[in-house]
Amino acid sequence: MRILIVDDSAMMRAMIKRVIKLADVAVEDILEATNGAEALELLKQHDVQLLLTDINMPVMNGADMLREISLNERWRNLNRVIISTDGSTVRREEAEELDVRCYLEKPFSPEVLRDVLNELADNEFAETE
Amino acid sequence: MSSTNSPTMSLPKLSDPDTASAMFEAVRSVAEHSFFAVAEPGDERSFATQASAVSSWLVATVRFEQGALKGSVSCTMPTSLARGLFDAFAGRDPSEPEPGAELVHDLVGEFSNMVCGAWLTRVASSRTFTLHHPTVEPASTPRHDGGPRLLAVIDDVPVSVEVTLKAEPQLG
Repeated sequence: MRILIVDDSAMMRAMIKRVIKLADVAVEDILEATNGAEALELLKQHDVQLLLTDINMPVMNGADMLREISLNERWRNLNRVIISTDGSTVRREEAEELDVRCYLEKPFSPEVLRDVLNELADNEFAETE
Repeated sequence: MSSTNSPTMSLPKLSDPDTASAMFEAVRSVAEHSFFAVAEPGDERSFATQASAVSSWLVATVRFEQGALKGSVSCTMPTSLARGLFDAFAGRDPSEPEPGAELVHDLVGEFSNMVCGAWLTRVASSRTFTLHHPTVEPASTPRHDGGPRLLAVIDDVPVSVEVTLKAEPQLG
């Protein structure tokens, strides 16, 4: 599985990477982007199975990026997870419309993210069997 | 996608007890969940005593927008606490090299970002908001503009949180 982490905080990206390595998932590669525009460029260049993204970022925010992704058939099977401080009901409803599989609200404990990763990996494996 | 933001909406101020309580819960939640730290309420007297022994602080400010309402949340903490939170967040072993100032600033910015988002979610959960990238500045004394502030103690170290609100003038 190739994973793309999108967050403008280097520390948050590092923390997510650390949790991914602790989770029981087979990871081929972990890519990083600091905003939605960078992430879209990486998605065009690489076959990514899981996207973990923040919402509030400079240049292009996570919601605009997810809107772009939802319009492109190429990324129909991309698993999308939001990791954001914005826990508003409006944002959660917006996420549902954008085919987001899971909405993780910051702050979160590493165990919560690990469980989400394991569950997504299990589902992915079951769907491809 | 629709937004329920309205230019007539406003946020309560930190002088309101429920708002201050929501801010403390935001600080406590961020400290415990992401930094494995214990947060307790602080008070002006203890803060002044503890702060007088600290000569290096970091002030992280996150600007936010909720419709026509604009404001900012500033978290002020000793640099020593920031480094301790860094170790907890990053899982740094004491034998590893010390992180540079840039990473510590990024960490304090993310702390403030989470506090701001958690607080806004608590006091106005039906409204979405935009958070800007944090700015972090070193200071020799804790910042205080004279307005109400939330004081807390994280791992026995003093921390202050200030909120500035600025509503745009209504047209017509």
